[in-house]
Amino acid sequence: MKFDVVIIGGGLAGMTAAAELQKAGLKCAVVAAGLSLHNVSRREFTAAGGTLLAGDSVVSGRFDGDRLAAVRTGKLGSVELEADNFILASGKYFSQGLVADMDRVYEPLFGLDVEYDEDRSTWFDPSFAAPQKFLEFGVKTEDGCALKDGSKIVNLYPAGELLAGVSTAQGDATEAIKKTALAAVEAIRRK
Amino acid sequence: MPVNHDFDVIIIGGGITGAGTARDCAMRGLKVLLIERSDIATGATGRNHGLLHSGARYAVKDSESAEECIRENKILRRIAANCVEVTGGLFITLPEDADSGFGLDYQATFLEACNKAGIEARAISPREAIQMEPSVNPTLIGAVVVPDGSVDPFRLCSANVTDAVLHGAKVLVYTEFLDFIREGDTILGVKVRDSRTGETAEYRAPVTVNAAGIWGHGVAAKAGVKIGMYPAKGALLVFGHRVNNVVINRCRKSADGDILVPGDSVTVIGTTSTKVPFEECDHMEVTPDEVKLLLREGCALCPSLASTRILRAYAGVRPLVADDSDPTGRSISRGIVCLDHETRDGIKGFVSITGGKLMTYRLMAELATDAVCRKLGVNKTCTTAETPLPGSMDGRIESVSKRFEGKPSAGQKGAAGRQGDMVGKIRFDTDADKQLVCECENVTLAEIKYAVRELGVSNLEDLRRRTRVGMGTCQGTLCIRRAAKALAEALGKPEMAEKLAADYLDERWKGMRAVGWGDTLREMEFMQRVYKFEKPYSYDEV
Amino acid sequence: MQETNISAKNFEQCQKCSLCETVCPVMANNPKYAGPKRSGPDGERYRLKNGIFFEDSLKYCLNCKRCEVACPSGVRIADLIQQARIDYGRKAPKLRDMMLASTDQMGPLAGAFAPIVNFSLGLAPVKGLMHATIGVDKHRTLPKYSSETFVHWYKKHAEAAQDAYKKQISYFHGCYANYNYPQLGKDFVAVMNAFGIGVQLIPEERCCGVAKIANGMIAAATRDAKINIEAFLRSVKEGREVVTVSTTCTLTLIEEYPELLKVDNSEVRDHISLVEQYLYKGIASGELKPVWKDGFKARAAYHCPCHQERLGWGIFTTELLKMIPGMELIELESNCCGIAGTYGFKKENYKVSQAIGKPLFDNIAAVAPDYVACECETCKWQIEMSTGVPVKNPVSILAEALDLEKTAAANRK
Repeated sequence: MKFDVVIIGGGLAGMTAAAELQKAGLKCAVVAAGLSLHNVSRREFTAAGGTLLAGDSVVSGRFDGDRLAAVRTGKLGSVELEADNFILASGKYFSQGLVADMDRVYEPLFGLDVEYDEDRSTWFDPSFAAPQKFLEFGVKTEDGCALKDGSKIVNLYPAGELLAGVSTAQGDATEAIKKTALAAVEAIRRK
Repeated sequence: MPVNHDFDVIIIGGGITGAGTARDCAMRGLKVLLIERSDIATGATGRNHGLLHSGARYAVKDSESAEECIRENKILRRIAANCVEVTGGLFITLPEDADSGFGLDYQATFLEACNKAGIEARAISPREAIQMEPSVNPTLIGAVVVPDGSVDPFRLCSANVTDAVLHGAKVLVYTEFLDFIREGDTILGVKVRDSRTGETAEYRAPVTVNAAGIWGHGVAAKAGVKIGMYPAKGALLVFGHRVNNVVINRCRKSADGDILVPGDSVTVIGTTSTKVPFEECDHMEVTPDEVKLLLREGCALCPSLASTRILRAYAGVRPLVADDSDPTGRSISRGIVCLDHETRDGIKGFVSITGGKLMTYRLMAELATDAVCRKLGVNKTCTTAETPLPGSMDGRIESVSKRFEGKPSAGQKGAAGRQGDMVGKIRFDTDADKQLVCECENVTLAEIKYAVRELGVSNLEDLRRRTRVGMGTCQGTLCIRRAAKALAEALGKPEMAEKLAADYLDERWKGMRAVGWGDTLREMEFMQRVYKFEKPYSYDEV
Repeated sequence: MQETNISAKNFEQCQKCSLCETVCPVMANNPKYAGPKRSGPDGERYRLKNGIFFEDSLKYCLNCKRCEVACPSGVRIADLIQQARIDYGRKAPKLRDMMLASTDQMGPLAGAFAPIVNFSLGLAPVKGLMHATIGVDKHRTLPKYSSETFVHWYKKHAEAAQDAYKKQISYFHGCYANYNYPQLGKDFVAVMNAFGIGVQLIPEERCCGVAKIANGMIAAATRDAKINIEAFLRSVKEGREVVTVSTTCTLTLIEEYPELLKVDNSEVRDHISLVEQYLYKGIASGELKPVWKDGFKARAAYHCPCHQERLGWGIFTTELLKMIPGMELIELESNCCGIAGTYGFKKENYKVSQAIGKPLFDNIAAVAPDYVACECETCKWQIEMSTGVPVKNPVSILAEALDLEKTAAANRK
């Protein structure tokens, strides 16, 4: 299936970006593992004709040089979702945009470059109420695009809490998250 | 400063040894004061496997300990039915054990030693072992079945304290021992401080018992007595659910991480053994190396642990008594050390009970109480081995659950499992009382109110030890606020709720940090979100 | 050293976020139900300790699986609940439950006497009697049984012509198309044949077993499952994909067989597809060439059935329907209709069932479509009974919208 933009993640960032893009006349699909709580933007998105794949998740990507050409999901099997641009708004650990194991933090879908501290003893502050370093980790970007082994993937835009330095778990980051989503929207519309 | 002369015996330490001693003394008609610097069961008592040893672990090396264990094992099944689970245990032999000299030859030695110590042990085939416990390492080459089980140390300690109080004992928690009141070579009593208010007080009694576990070293020092103690840190991991239903041990020389115990709704692997400085005993942190070691050894017992969520890590300090420093040379090999400091050091009115293990707490209490009675000239025999503990008169959850009208709710069944036949004292008067506060562990508001009313609870940690509140998969993410509010109201101090929650969060956080990756880290992020960002699900308006 | 956490049905991956509770249609309408989180992953930890922690209220779960779609941690919540009912709910099923569940045994019996059965099932005193005696709610009209089954029709009118087609599939018609609504099967054959595909039946097709699972008849369901999988295996080996029309049957064949009945379907599961998915893929790849009727016009509201939502294949239906010129398709917000197979037929569930469906019914009334497009047979009963708006299966819509003759010609080349 062919779309203008495929948005991976139906959280605040994903849904905000999707609604904006779909309303701007681009054909979008959102792959949302788990329930999307963002009823307002979700309804805007579907009312504008957007395709919501609820309860599905992206399992792999097909690359074409420095571009992501298509993704596959767990439920659509061999049917690929092709798109000109992709927004990756898969969140932090809770939504499994990032995975931490004993010794490292990684981005499980495409193996994107992640900013984190290799010394796990620095991840946490003993005081629950203090800021926690592990919540600062996230994927790296250059000109808004994701990086893999240091090189840009020119049509893959990470947004929301997947990004280093953005987290709702440290307090209300709603506006900051929406800003990252709108930045990705802008970058895509400029093309 | 108020001075109180009304006691026959003062017991320092509210761990299982002190609680058991208080119960025994009270049952023999003595006027007892128990002081504990924080809550009951906070030291090594609450920080071990919760293994109801059959004694098999000691059978080859230390037959005396083995015999003690199996005797006490049988007694605890009788008197503490609500605190123990008779799961049975396996001692498995793995191919790599054979390579290091602990193959089936050793199994034969082990079997013989068990049977000699009176431990019913029988060898079964690997296939039978897998049938009995499907999670066991399937590469095993041999297995021995023994009467191991699990014991809930919080419940056991609480039941002893409750029974002591029923027999007239006075129990002061959050009461810190400062020094002895002393006249020449005689200990007359203790000076204490309420750690919550800072107020000091003195209590006098002809005999004082030091049952302070590893901290007993410092208590003895205040009397000018040296007990050569060896603080041995043991780290453990708690897994998210009951992976096994039968205790799994390695049939070889005791080593790190070779016991896997199913207890209540979780499974625990342990332990390590490292000597630590005394000053660290109050601040145990589990290190990454300990976690790795426990996981590696745990996976040898039960391979699925490699992919099982770890809820948290914790560590305790065993009060081992060093061989070289007991001048009399008595009691050491048995593990239990009961010292009459009058004969040992010329200090009158002072007894120390230390060493030993959770399993043999009752015997330790009996020995200490015998010593106290000798000093007081009281001639009463011990009855703790025959008298069931409160909650354990009818310890089966199935029959206790039938006491409720109609079908028992999940919360009522949970309470029946924890509080045993004391469950009748929990008052499910209103609909709110029946509401679950902690959904992971089925704890109702009614049970929280009961714990505050009857079990001496003053913060969420205390409440956790008596009800399991916040001990489940989410480690309190969902329930800490609710529980703090309920507890603060039950204590009549609603303004305390926030502080109660904050303290408890720090404690949960500590255990989770040591295993902060995978699903535990996901939970940690969620926990931060719930408590730091007030409206996690309120995007509707966005 | 530690791998990704795995546990039976992922119950341990539950982070207690409680999103499942916000979508559970039963929890919102029945205070006796503890909800998916507590009945599923929470309950499982304690059931592992002692079976006494099994709660009777698990029976209120209607197995819509919306909790699983909502779960961000991949916990198979509804499966956990069904599994617990299988493992711990040891009560013998009631006669009514057995009657409602044995769709393939009641079907042949009832079909033979269809005029009598249909008449008597619709008659007020009989319905009152069923309400009182076997507990089928009196508001319900039990599904009508057709006097000629699909299989009977197929053998008489279609079978002989099928071998002529170069491409062949095996059709798992399910109980509904066979006993209750043979027209669906006929439309299926017409559409497939138009695309140049021959339709073969599955020899000895058994009921998928969903109703038996829901009503605790596990041994019977397992027996049927094994027969079906054997038959699918033969079909796949002979080069015929298995194509289905029922979302619920499909979910059962693909997910419930291995999860709940422990029947291995790994060799065939990738060869089972819903007809909409099969056709979408064929048309999208250019292999199948539709020719649409001139002047077709319809305003349809698509209701995605719960089990389609769980399969995640609703997109194939909507993309397929959007291909039809003259089709105005409105996608309804995802909601459960409340029937959930045999659940809504039980008198103890009737009120809850209707309360659950209300948001959907209101939504349909607001949209006022010509008809509702929906793949599920029980949704159809519920929506038609509750709103009066007709419900059409997408296959039947295709049969109307395609110029069958021209399509057949286009696909012969």
